[in-house]
Amino acid sequence: MQLPRREDAEALKDLLSKLVKRSEAVTALLISHEGVCISKAGNVETLNSTALAALVAGMFSATREVANIVGEEKFSILLQQGEKRHIHISLIGQRNMMIVVFEDYRRIGRVRHEARSIGPDILRILESRDKSRKEDAEDISVPEFREYALNLIDRIFVVGED
Amino acid sequence: MVKINMPHLDPIEKQIVFKIVYFGPGMSGKTTNLLYIHKALNDRYKGEMLVLDTEKERTLFFDFFPVSLGTVQGYSLKFHLYTIPGQIFYEASRRIILEGADGVVFVADSSADRLDDNTEMFRMMNKNLRNMGIDPSRFPLVLQYNKRDRNPRLEIGEIEKELEIDEIPVTESIATEGKGVMKTLQVVSKVIIRRFQIS
Repeated sequence: MQLPRREDAEALKDLLSKLVKRSEAVTALLISHEGVCISKAGNVETLNSTALAALVAGMFSATREVANIVGEEKFSILLQQGEKRHIHISLIGQRNMMIVVFEDYRRIGRVRHEARSIGPDILRILESRDKSRKEDAEDISVPEFREYALNLIDRIFVVGED
Repeated sequence: MVKINMPHLDPIEKQIVFKIVYFGPGMSGKTTNLLYIHKALNDRYKGEMLVLDTEKERTLFFDFFPVSLGTVQGYSLKFHLYTIPGQIFYEASRRIILEGADGVVFVADSSADRLDDNTEMFRMMNKNLRNMGIDPSRFPLVLQYNKRDRNPRLEIGEIEKELEIDEIPVTESIATEGKGVMKTLQVVSKVIIRRFQIS
């Protein structure tokens, strides 16, 4: 799994914020295809972004299988139209997705345009982090991390029911 | 190339996330495991649980909930728990959910007549892992013999013998009563933590 450098992560957030502002969207999220939220911008307080990321990743992977069945390698855009809110999902490279939640369906063209225009910049940042994984995690000492984590597991996953 | 077991680590969100997948044949108790864990954990450690099932309460796509254990070296340590749909025709969904897993609990049904179902699903899982470039013998995996209250039931070791595998952590459980459920979660999460690497 890739690790975004701090400055890359900030650049990702800036790009998403720009998209939210220009398209007047509610929120925008960047997620990995494993269903983990990498970056988010806009009104992120009212949405359960953890659950949203898990569900959309599953949905997008399922859509890839559907694409294969009908003879396509992938569908690069998914659009969900609701009563009040709509979701535009676009594939960023092979391993990530961008989710844009918006309210005014007449702005779909703008959403699509903005998503398309920042896509290459996001992809460039995501690809550049592959080259510099080690320094990204330099603030974590794995042996100490293990020790603390094992302690937390003992304390929280309590085995008392047997 | 064999993939390294590496979690999702995000310096800006300050979180490190491990994905645990509960795998196994249909009706072996995967969702029951998750429901029990969700009920047993203190509210401050758990997020909302998603259950995507059919009208007959069979898992359609997956069940999911996040667990936040606390902060380690400034990073929020999280486990994302997933189940797969066990019914044989949901192979594509299982493959999707297994992607990016850092560890697996294989929930086996201890009923004596389900040995073949268990071994068939185990072999399918190993095939999926190999297709993702993962060596199953080096992957964090716990075999949970669930439904230990069934009679007649499989002996512990029977599944491993049939699959010709050894040195795999094994737990026993009755998930409907919560017995052995947290123990299994503890074992798999410790194996994951002991083996993960950042590189």
